[in-house]
Amino acid sequence: MTVSTAPKQNAITTHLGNGLKVIAIENPVADIVSARVFLPVGQGHETPKNAGIFSFLTSLLTRGTTHRSSLDIAEAVEYVGASLGADSASDYSLVSVKTVSADFEKIFTLATEILREPSFPENEIELERKLTIQGLRSMQEQPFSVAYKYFREGMYGEHPYGFSSMGTEETLRAMQRDDLLDAHRQHFRPDNMVVIIVGRIDPERAVALVDNLLGDWAAPDCPAPKARLPQVESHAYRIVTPQETNQAFVILGYLAASVKHPDFAALKLLSTHLGNGLSSRLFVELREKQGLAYDVSAFYPTRLGPSQFVSYIGTAPENTSVAVDGLQSELRRLCDVPLTANELQVAKNKMLGQYALGKQTNGQIAQLLGWYEILGLGTEFDTTFQTDVAAVTIDKAQEAAQRCFVDSYISILGPATAVEPLR
Amino acid sequence: MSSAPDVSTSNSSDSGRLPTQFPASVIRLDNGLTVIHQEIATTPVVVVDVWIKAGARYEPDGWTGMAHFLEHMVFKGTEQILPGMFDAAIESRGGLTNAATSHDYAHFYMTVAADDLPHALPYLADLLLHAAIPADEFVRERQVVVEEIHQSWDDPDWIGFQTLSEMIYGNHPYGRSVLGTPEILQERSPEEMRQFHRAHYQPDDMRVVITGGVPLDRVLELVQTQFRAFAHKEPCPAAAPVAPPQLLTQAKQQTLALPRLEHGRLVMAWLGPGIGDLKQASGLDILATVLAEGRMSRLVRELQEERQWVDEIASSFSVQQDCSLFVLSSWLAPSYIEDVEKVICDRIASLATIPITTVELERAQRVLCNDYAFSMETPGQLAGLYGYYGTLATPELSLAYPGYVDSYTTAQLMPLAQEYLSPHRCGSLALTPA
Repeated sequence: MTVSTAPKQNAITTHLGNGLKVIAIENPVADIVSARVFLPVGQGHETPKNAGIFSFLTSLLTRGTTHRSSLDIAEAVEYVGASLGADSASDYSLVSVKTVSADFEKIFTLATEILREPSFPENEIELERKLTIQGLRSMQEQPFSVAYKYFREGMYGEHPYGFSSMGTEETLRAMQRDDLLDAHRQHFRPDNMVVIIVGRIDPERAVALVDNLLGDWAAPDCPAPKARLPQVESHAYRIVTPQETNQAFVILGYLAASVKHPDFAALKLLSTHLGNGLSSRLFVELREKQGLAYDVSAFYPTRLGPSQFVSYIGTAPENTSVAVDGLQSELRRLCDVPLTANELQVAKNKMLGQYALGKQTNGQIAQLLGWYEILGLGTEFDTTFQTDVAAVTIDKAQEAAQRCFVDSYISILGPATAVEPLR
Repeated sequence: MSSAPDVSTSNSSDSGRLPTQFPASVIRLDNGLTVIHQEIATTPVVVVDVWIKAGARYEPDGWTGMAHFLEHMVFKGTEQILPGMFDAAIESRGGLTNAATSHDYAHFYMTVAADDLPHALPYLADLLLHAAIPADEFVRERQVVVEEIHQSWDDPDWIGFQTLSEMIYGNHPYGRSVLGTPEILQERSPEEMRQFHRAHYQPDDMRVVITGGVPLDRVLELVQTQFRAFAHKEPCPAAAPVAPPQLLTQAKQQTLALPRLEHGRLVMAWLGPGIGDLKQASGLDILATVLAEGRMSRLVRELQEERQWVDEIASSFSVQQDCSLFVLSSWLAPSYIEDVEKVICDRIASLATIPITTVELERAQRVLCNDYAFSMETPGQLAGLYGYYGTLATPELSLAYPGYVDSYTTAQLMPLAQEYLSPHRCGSLALTPA
C-alpha cells in the first residue's frame, strides 16, 4: 500500500524562545486531541548503579506536584474521562495526554504542571518502589520474559540496554528522592523538549497554549549531561535455562545497527521479511510447513544506540533442537542466498503498508513524529524512512545481513531434559 | 439474487434512548446475508470484518475446540486458493489480515488500501464459503493449535481465568476453553470439521462489515458477487440446547497452587445479564468503574493506595450473548488474600443499600462514554463494534451504550447491585505459589 493515512495537514512547527520545539497538527476527523511531550532521556542515560531511574521518575510524575496531591491529579483527569500518563523507554521519556477536544486545555495544563513541578512525595516513592519491584518479579512468571532477560543481559552486559527498563531490585532499593530531584533538574528542561499536539484543535491555538504554559520556563545555563555509554563488544553467546514449562522458548539474535546507521532500512526490511505476518518467512517455514510453533516471529527495534535483531519461537520441548536449527538456518540463509526480486518487493509493500496503517489515530501520529523528532531525526524522517526502504536493493539487503549476522546470541529455556543437551 | 436489497438505515430498536441516526447502512441480501457498511471518506483504507455465529458454543458434545481449529484451517485455502496464497495476496500489497474465535462467534478481518478491495475481497469470500480443509494440512495445523494450548498452560492468568470460568458457568459452553484440549483435537477428523463448516458458515449466520474509503454501491456490488455460492447446508451434530448460565445461589471458592508464581492473585467474578439486556449490563459497567477503574475508584483507593494490601486491583466487565461477566482481579501477597476478599465482599454488599455519590456516578459516566468514543477512532475499531453487536444482537445497538450509561441515577444502581453482585453470587479463585 503506498497511500498515506496521515490527515491532510494544517500544521505548524515552531520553536519557543526557550528552545522548546512545538509541532501542532490539525486532524478534525474525530473529536479527540492527543498530545505528547518528549524528552531525549531514557534508559540510554542510565548506569548499572541507577538502572530504572527514568522509568521510576516518570511513573511518579502523576503522583504529586508542588500544588496537588496524587489524588488531586487523578481526580482532575478521571472526572473528565481523559488520560494522562508518563513513561520512559530506551531513548526517551514522555508525558502523554488524550482527551475529547473540549477538555484538552485543562488536561494539557495539568500535564505541563506534572512535567515542571513534580514533588516526588516520600510516601508515593515508597509505594511505587514496592509496585515496581513486584512488577519486576512478575516478569519471571512468563517463560519468554525470562529467556529474553538472559538474552539481553548476555548481549549488552553493563550497557543500559541490558537492564529491564524498570531497573533491578538493587537499584530500585537504593533510589532516593534526591536522585529523582537531581535527574529531573538536569534533564527535564525546555531546550531539549518536543511537544506535539494532534487532533481537533486549531494549530495556532495549540501553539499559543504551549507558549502560555511553557514559554516562561527558562533553560538552565549548563547543557544537559550527556550519556557516557560503555562500548558493546559483539561476541557469540549462548545461555540455557532449565525450567519445567509446557513449552520451550528459543531466542536467537544479533547486535544490530542503530537507527542512524546506513543499514537501518535494509535490516527493517529483513525483519519484516522474516517475522512480520502470516506470510513471513519464519511463519511459513516453521509454523505452516513444519507445525513447530504457534508463536514464531522476529523484531528489530528502532534504537539510537546499538540495537538488536531478534528471532524467537515457542515450541514443544522435544522440538527444541529442531527449532534452534530452523531459526539458525533461516537467518544464515539471508546471508548466503540473495532475496528474489519478488521477495524484496513484497517485503517493501508489507513494510510500507503497515507503516501507513500505524498512523491512523491522533495518538499514533503524535507518537511517531514526536519520537523521530526527539531521536534527532526530525519529522521528515517519516518520509526519508519510506524513501530509504523503497531504495533498498537485493545486494544491500544481503550485505546488511552479512554485516549484522555474525556473532549469534542464543537463549534457550525449557524443561531440563530437552534443553540441557543444547548447552 | 435480487438487485433490490432491503436497505434500512434506521435507528429502530426497542429502547427509547438511542442517539441520532445510525450512521451505517444495514442491508440484508436475498440469500440472508447481512451487510453492514459505513463510508469514511477521509481514510484511504478499507476494513472488512466478517462475523459468523460459529463460535465454541455451537460445538456439539466432544467437539470442543473445533470452532477455533476451523478458524485456523480457513486460512489453509480452497480448491482455487492454495495454503498461504491468501496471506501473501493481502500482505504483499501492504494489507493486514487475521482472525479470532470466541464462544459466541468467529470473525475474520483484513485491512487493505481502498483500491485493493476488489482484489482482496474475492480471496476472503472464497476462503470463508469454500474452505477445503485438506487432510494433510489438518494434521499439521493441529500441532500448531496444540502449541497454542501448551503456551496458554504456561500462563498463570489464563489458567486462573479458565478455572474460574469452569466454576461459575457450570455446564454452559462458556465454561469450556475455546482452544479445546490436545486429546479431543486428536480424535477429530477433517470430515467432521467440514461438516461443522458447512453447517455454520451460512449466510443467515454471517455479517459482512465493511468500513472506510469505499461507497455503499461498490460494496454491495462486490459482496453480492463474491458471497454468492455458499456451500450446501448439510446436517452436522448440533450443540445440546443449553440454558443461559444461572446466577450462583451460593458463593464458590477455590485455591490453586501454581509453580513459578511471583504474585498471589485473587479473582472474583459475578454473572450479569446478557446482551439482550444491555441497559442493565451498562449499569453494572458503571459499578465496575466506581469500584476499581482509576485511582479515584473505591477499591483502588482503599486497597492499593491507602492500606496497600494489594499491588494492583482492577475491574473488567464484558457482555456476551447469554450473560455478562463482572470481574475484580487483585495482584497481592498471598498472606493478604483472605482479608482483601472480606473487604471486597463488604464493599460490594454496601452498593445494594447505600447509593453511590453523584460525583462517583458522573466520573464513571464520563470515563465509560469517553472510552467508548476513543474506541471508535479507526475504521477497524468501528467495524469490530458493528460486527460484534450485529452478531450478538443488532448493529444499531452498538450506539445505544453511551445513552444507557448516561441514563442511570444513583438510586437505579442499587437494585442492580442487589440482584447481581451479592456476596453469595460470587465465584472466587485464589492463586498461590506452589
